[in-house]
Amino acid sequence: MTPKRIALLLLLGFVLAPVSQAQIKHIEMRVEGMT
Amino acid sequence: MKQSLSRQSGVQSVEVSLLNGTAEVTPKEDGQIDPAKLLNVTYDSGVTVTEMNMTAQGKIVKDASGNLALQVEPNRSFELVPNELSNGLQNLAGTQTTVTVRGQLYKKPAGKKKKADTSAPLKLLILEVEKKE
Repeated sequence: MTPKRIALLLLLGFVLAPVSQAQIKHIEMRVEGMT
Repeated sequence: MKQSLSRQSGVQSVEVSLLNGTAEVTPKEDGQIDPAKLLNVTYDSGVTVTEMNMTAQGKIVKDASGNLALQVEPNRSFELVPNELSNGLQNLAGTQTTVTVRGQLYKKPAGKKKKADTSAPLKLLILEVEKKE
């Protein structure tokens, strides 16, 4: 693999990484009637 | 209930506390989770949800009607219930600033014993602004 291709892959990784992160971090529900 | 929630797409783990009457859902790292679906699944498993809180990060946008909303994914946003905290975020609408907020997505109306209407779009009442970046 050429250095140019490696650089391109790294660049793509930086661009796509934030998109793939979950934006909803946590959900909590209060419930009734649980046994 | 735990099994039903765990089966939903985007769900990493579910912690249920019988003592506290709570169910905590942690999404997968890349998971796209749908709170409205979780609410319905929980109701369908036979328990009543009295309150649903969420911690999420996203951008502040204005929808077609001019209402403020938190956009968590390109195709998913939650309209903000106007309060002091949401008013404070108004100047971030349309900017690239990402905010992390904790808020209430659902609260069971007082006095109703039967299943509440969960088909209406969930609105986010911001309880705390954790981060702006």
